Amino acid sequence: MRKQECVAMLLAGGQGSRLGGLTRIRAKPAVSFCGKYRIIDFTLSNCSNSHINTVGVLIQYKPFLLNSYIGLGSAWDLDNPYGGVHILPPFMSEKAGSWYNGTANAVYQNYEFIDYYDPEYVIILSGDHVYKMDYTLMLKFHKEKNSDITIATIEVPWEEASRFGILSVDEDERITKFTEKPSQPDSNLASMGVYIFNWSTLKQALIADSKDNQSQNDFGQNIIPQQLKEAKRVYAYKFQGYWRDVGTIESYYQANMESLRAGHFLNIFDPKFRIFSNEDILPPHFVGSTAVIENSLVCNGCVVHGKVSNSILAPGVYVGKGVQIKDSILLPYVKVHQGSRVYKTIVGENAEIMRHCIIGTEEENASDQEGITVIEDNHIIPVDSVIEAGTNV
Amino acid sequence: MSNAIGIIYANSAPDSLQGLASERPIAAVPFGGRYRILDFALSSMVNSGIRTIGLVTPHHYRPLLDHLGAGKAWFLDRKDGGLFILPGVFHGLARNEHTFCIKDLQNNLEYLHKDFAENVVISSGDQIFNINFKLALQVHSDMQADVTMIYKEMSNSTNLTNEMFFEMTKNHKVSHIDKKGIARGKLVQPYFVNMLIIRRELLIDIIEKYSSIGCTDLIDILTANLGVLKVYGSPTCSLIGTIHTVKDYFDRSMDLLNLEVRGKLLLGEDRIHTKIKDNPPTRYTLQAKVSNSFIASGCTISGEVENSIIFRGVILEEGCQIKNSIILPKCHIHADAQMNYAILDKSVTVNGENVLKGSSDSPLVVLKRTVI
Repeated sequence: MRKQECVAMLLAGGQGSRLGGLTRIRAKPAVSFCGKYRIIDFTLSNCSNSHINTVGVLIQYKPFLLNSYIGLGSAWDLDNPYGGVHILPPFMSEKAGSWYNGTANAVYQNYEFIDYYDPEYVIILSGDHVYKMDYTLMLKFHKEKNSDITIATIEVPWEEASRFGILSVDEDERITKFTEKPSQPDSNLASMGVYIFNWSTLKQALIADSKDNQSQNDFGQNIIPQQLKEAKRVYAYKFQGYWRDVGTIESYYQANMESLRAGHFLNIFDPKFRIFSNEDILPPHFVGSTAVIENSLVCNGCVVHGKVSNSILAPGVYVGKGVQIKDSILLPYVKVHQGSRVYKTIVGENAEIMRHCIIGTEEENASDQEGITVIEDNHIIPVDSVIEAGTNV
Repeated sequence: MSNAIGIIYANSAPDSLQGLASERPIAAVPFGGRYRILDFALSSMVNSGIRTIGLVTPHHYRPLLDHLGAGKAWFLDRKDGGLFILPGVFHGLARNEHTFCIKDLQNNLEYLHKDFAENVVISSGDQIFNINFKLALQVHSDMQADVTMIYKEMSNSTNLTNEMFFEMTKNHKVSHIDKKGIARGKLVQPYFVNMLIIRRELLIDIIEKYSSIGCTDLIDILTANLGVLKVYGSPTCSLIGTIHTVKDYFDRSMDLLNLEVRGKLLLGEDRIHTKIKDNPPTRYTLQAKVSNSFIASGCTISGEVENSIIFRGVILEEGCQIKNSIILPKCHIHADAQMNYAILDKSVTVNGENVLKGSSDSPLVVLKRTVI
């Protein structure tokens, strides 16, 4: 064992219930994103690109598909003789054991894991954010400010500020105030849910938190406010770049669609900071002679005979003749058969739409979830079905 | 666990692939959007359960090793077995008619000595195929054969450059091998497809006995010893794509636009594995017009593409027209350039309004890193 400077704890245990049908059989971090990726690829690739190669992944909800996807972490070059990726599920000890009860509790229960690597710093990450970030720059800032805790922040539009944890800072970037989802925000600096702690500070905070019966054992709700109250040196690191929380159907859909825009901020084509993924090995995609593809992303293994516009086709998708796909996201191995039309829909993995179905509508109508239709993983839509816009099937 | 190890001859001499094989062995020539020709032999062995594979390399093996790394993409980064590089002898002459030169193995005898496997599967590395060797290995063990040669029933008219066929008795024992011969009378003949299974001990014996003679072909030795060895034939119905000329390369590539060919080669249970690049998906803009084409990941497509094979990371700008062409990785085609029957090697840049034209009989080959 070799002492590590910084260990990452990746929170990936949440159910992600707001993603509805997409998380019925898998944890949120394992949900497909932007065609060939899964949401957790971004955080794991950030770790890899930031040379943080000891990563504990805290899992709890429906972990099988997530675990098998992460494996030894070799897809992200994280299979390292000193460190590597460790899957950390809830466990039993001599006397008792319990489920992870809140984000802070999950890390608290694994303090032996962190102690094993005896790091100076611990970086807390979330498995459901989409962004490219070099954590070494944040760690450098943390050291320069001689801080106890550094919170990564991003400026959000004022009108959206009440959806986030909002921070106020002084001229030295030291945090003076932290409010979770304020109705009257006095700043537009939002927490990205990425924290660097001195391990000694974090350990004390977690122990104190575990003894507090009133606490919900959550980093944002409890740990950070408590540390501010104790006048610890808490600093805000201002991140410049693209960052999205994809926790809801609407935000998931929007973030996917944003990747279609040319010159997009989340430059997945940048060879210097690559996003790795554990992909299935599939042949190149085939575009038939009747196909039309406009403003779309298409992955390996797809077969396209119909019309696809403004959409994302994940690996292994089949689009039959006479099919129209518009403003939609087709997740891996979806099949859409002859004559069907799909508008503004997220079609779950392995789902199959038989012939001549109409899913969603082309018209702009602001029904439920902004008119986005969701079809659950493995679902089969029978011949001639009509599915109304904005429904979950 | 398979009781066989593999040897792939990746050093077959470059024939007339023009520039495509001038800086790389045929085995390392990119093929089918994201593969290299060697991937087919390598994946076939791996999918047959073989996890110890020796690769006979030619002198210019850099592109091969670049592609293979430690063999991880083929599950060959192993403690027990794995990928072994067997440097071939330096043939004085560029042209060499040998299929499996014994001298190449003599230098690497240690590879054969230190394993315990019963049999060795030997294949050439310059063909396009997807074969599971399990059937042939079964035949080999059922017949208690010394050698099992894999063959395919093909008609005379099939365009084969390496014509070697044989005759068999009723129980599939090979009775006659004809190298470069003409099939006598029969329309359909069992043609040898440059893959065989041989007992490891026997192979070592042969190498030790014949190495003093010089560059001898294993097939010639088998032919000379048909009387004393138990040599059997085992059939395959896989597609075998031999690539010796630019036209072969072009035709075999274009075959991939045929669903039946893709089904047999790429879409079955046994997948073809290749180096993973983790490219993003391919992006189509509003101006893209693509039909009947096979397109890999990481491309940006704004132009017109018809009946073509596009490799990874290619950029096609608005208004360019690509017809019946093969574009290797990282090429950049600027606006309004046109091409028909062209093969562009890696990293070629074609500036705007150029017109490249070949024909189906002799496609135009543009060398690596050329700027037009």
